Amino acid sequence: MPVSEVSAWLYATPVSTHLRDADWIVPTVQSIHIVAIAILMGSSIVLNLRLAGLMARTDSAPVVRQRYLPWLWAALAVLLMTGLVLVIAEPDRVLGNWVFWTKMLLVVVAFITTVTIRVPMRDDFAAKAGAWRIIAKPLAVLSLIMWVLVIVCGRWIAYAL
Amino acid sequence: MNELFAYLRDTALAIWIREGDAFPWIETIHVIAIVTVAGTIAIVDLRLLGLAAHKPSVQRLMEELLPWTWAAFLIAATTGTLLFLTNAPAYAHNRAFQLKMVMMALAGVNMGLFNLRTRRTMHLWDEQVSPPPAAKIAGLLSLTLWAAIICFGRRIGFTLEHFNG
Repeated sequence: MPVSEVSAWLYATPVSTHLRDADWIVPTVQSIHIVAIAILMGSSIVLNLRLAGLMARTDSAPVVRQRYLPWLWAALAVLLMTGLVLVIAEPDRVLGNWVFWTKMLLVVVAFITTVTIRVPMRDDFAAKAGAWRIIAKPLAVLSLIMWVLVIVCGRWIAYAL
Repeated sequence: MNELFAYLRDTALAIWIREGDAFPWIETIHVIAIVTVAGTIAIVDLRLLGLAAHKPSVQRLMEELLPWTWAAFLIAATTGTLLFLTNAPAYAHNRAFQLKMVMMALAGVNMGLFNLRTRRTMHLWDEQVSPPPAAKIAGLLSLTLWAAIICFGRRIGFTLEHFNG
């Protein structure tokens, strides 16, 4: 089934119609989505800058990991759920939109980089051991840039049609 | 005031942003800056509410995070001003925009009161997990106000009338 048919079918479902008909739902869910992005960004900034050696240098890496990673995952869970609601409400806005699919791809890459930074942050020596000595900092910078690019694509969904 | 808003809308800079491709890019930078402001300040706010951050000292946590918050705020304010210029009369009369500005003013007052009063006693509770009530109230207000700023900001895009008056 082509994307346009999936989109048209989803658009016509009662749940999609209900979400659209109440004109407060989409703006409210988008607002929650952005607040969750703020929490994800705050966590990602401290985690990645700590790994890059640009923040909290005197603080223990596993402590930083233990404090901020659960917030990042919780925010990501909220983002996926609110994002799903937005897709169901306006499938015609996203499913045929290449910026949306680029965003989804970048979310996967950002997720993988975030899962990976856990390893060099597991104890205070991991980031200095073996290949991590070389990879850890670029990985931290990459991870942060990926989340920023996700935001860029998110804003540009509205302009790509 | 309306004449000033109309004048701003007709400046060469406003026309250039409005009629070129700059608007979405400025808006994108604005969003990245705002989530950075809200995200970094939330860590300090939550610490004031008694949730442990990555270091016990509130003073040192503020010294570490707030420069990032301020840098992002400067970018958010600059890009926000540029976006405002492109349709100043419409933004100025938009209820969501007005409420966003009120929330920002309140966030400023909250921060001012905290710096002038609560922060003076900070040496007494700097490393306490649970700071005194005044600090908790400041943290809770800041969290709430920044969430409201984001919500009203998002609402502007749904309610802005592109009138020419």
